[in-house]
Amino acid sequence: MTNTEDLPEVSGYSRVSVLISAVVGLAVAALALFWAQGFRIGYESLYRVNPSVEGGGIGSDWVFGNTIPALDFLIALIHAADVILGAFILVMVFIHWAAFQRLADQMREPGEDVNEAVAADGGSPARGDEQGGDSA
Amino acid sequence: MSNLDHGKFTRVTTLFHSLLGLDVFLLFFTGYAIMFNDELWWMLTLMGGASGVTAIHRITGIGLVALVIFWITLQVISSTGRSNFSKVLPAKDDVDAFIQDIQFVLGRADERHPSARQFGGYKADEVPLLSYIGKGVVFIFSIELTLLAISGLLIWSKTGLAAMFQTKAAAMAFVTFHGLLGVIMLMGVMFHIFEHGMHPAFYPVETKAFIPRSMVPEHHGDDDEEPDTTGIERLSLSPSWRTVSTIFGAMTVIGIVSVLIGSIFDEGYPVPRELAIGGGPASILLTIGINLGMVVLGVGLVLSMYGNVLRIRWEQQLERDERPAAADGGEPQTDGGQPEADDAESEH
Repeated sequence: MTNTEDLPEVSGYSRVSVLISAVVGLAVAALALFWAQGFRIGYESLYRVNPSVEGGGIGSDWVFGNTIPALDFLIALIHAADVILGAFILVMVFIHWAAFQRLADQMREPGEDVNEAVAADGGSPARGDEQGGDSA
Repeated sequence: MSNLDHGKFTRVTTLFHSLLGLDVFLLFFTGYAIMFNDELWWMLTLMGGASGVTAIHRITGIGLVALVIFWITLQVISSTGRSNFSKVLPAKDDVDAFIQDIQFVLGRADERHPSARQFGGYKADEVPLLSYIGKGVVFIFSIELTLLAISGLLIWSKTGLAAMFQTKAAAMAFVTFHGLLGVIMLMGVMFHIFEHGMHPAFYPVETKAFIPRSMVPEHHGDDDEEPDTTGIERLSLSPSWRTVSTIFGAMTVIGIVSVLIGSIFDEGYPVPRELAIGGGPASILLTIGINLGMVVLGVGLVLSMYGNVLRIRWEQQLERDERPAAADGGEPQTDGGQPEADDAESEH
């Protein structure tokens, strides 16, 4: 198959930069863990109460709770983004699906005779054989 | 031979991609077992109930923070990373590629634009690092992952949130924001799996993201014999492609539509509308659809592992071939897009 001499010279990421990045990544993750955990203890069950508004019992503060209109707007905005981007992603799926069908039509059918196919469009048999890659 | 097989990613990038994929898939499985708990009750149970799921979600969340910070740092401090910035910026070619893709589908263009070819096409040095979809993936996923990591950490530290926003309801709004934000990424990842798994020339998985560029020859021997175009007409279609791509395409569409509809109802934002926590419509169709979406993700996870298996096999083959050193430039093992002689071998 492939001779290793054909392999390209690639200037990738240096070991030092990979190592530094890994250390920074892990350090920030550890700090984030420390920060998130530090405040958490004892409060985990605070928001697990099912609200029941009727009679002004537990949960009535949910109803009047959010006094920050910006958060309501943010939720509405992200809903809109979901729908718009979802529709766009669907369009991209359909475009690719259709493009793949066209690309598949350009390919040889499974089991199609290689030599015949090449001869049919005027190519030389040698050229056809060559597509085996490692046939030589 | 074809010109479709040129690698573009370094070894670090391919490894990062695999780790990020694994981490994000676990975050999806756990996160949506929580958000769509009506529809994915079995997944919730399987992962140890509410406490098990949230524990896995938090562990992988910290993993995500580490991976994202690692990558940002690497891009900033390394010359390779800095030199890639310009290659990621949107350009006019990307708009042209999108338009030409539509024309290609409608039969008004004979080929896809070079900036649309996920896996190269033309000679290696004439191909952009990323297709227009690839650039979109980098941009959207970067923004999403950053926002998800920040909002996730804020949710984790609820008291931090409450201190910032004063009320429980406001804190809950962040949970909703986090979940809805993730839905965009979830839909994008389903498309990503379809796009890179069902291309007829690379089916069932494109190896670009798994086999590093340093291991893939950029030229196949004599340059004169290189085809002018992609050379796709020289490749044989895999016998199962039509059936599998149709089923998987349908599953992808159903999965995307279902999580989109589910996210509208199951937003989990209890203020001040109907006070229905997780009480979305218990529709059988929606349940099936959301579960199909999870199957699409599962297939993506399997394909990612398979890509790494192909890389290991390719490495072993290179080692074997190094000794006899009698070869011409062959092709890497891209299943499906292979010449006839190799197809049977690589299918197993």
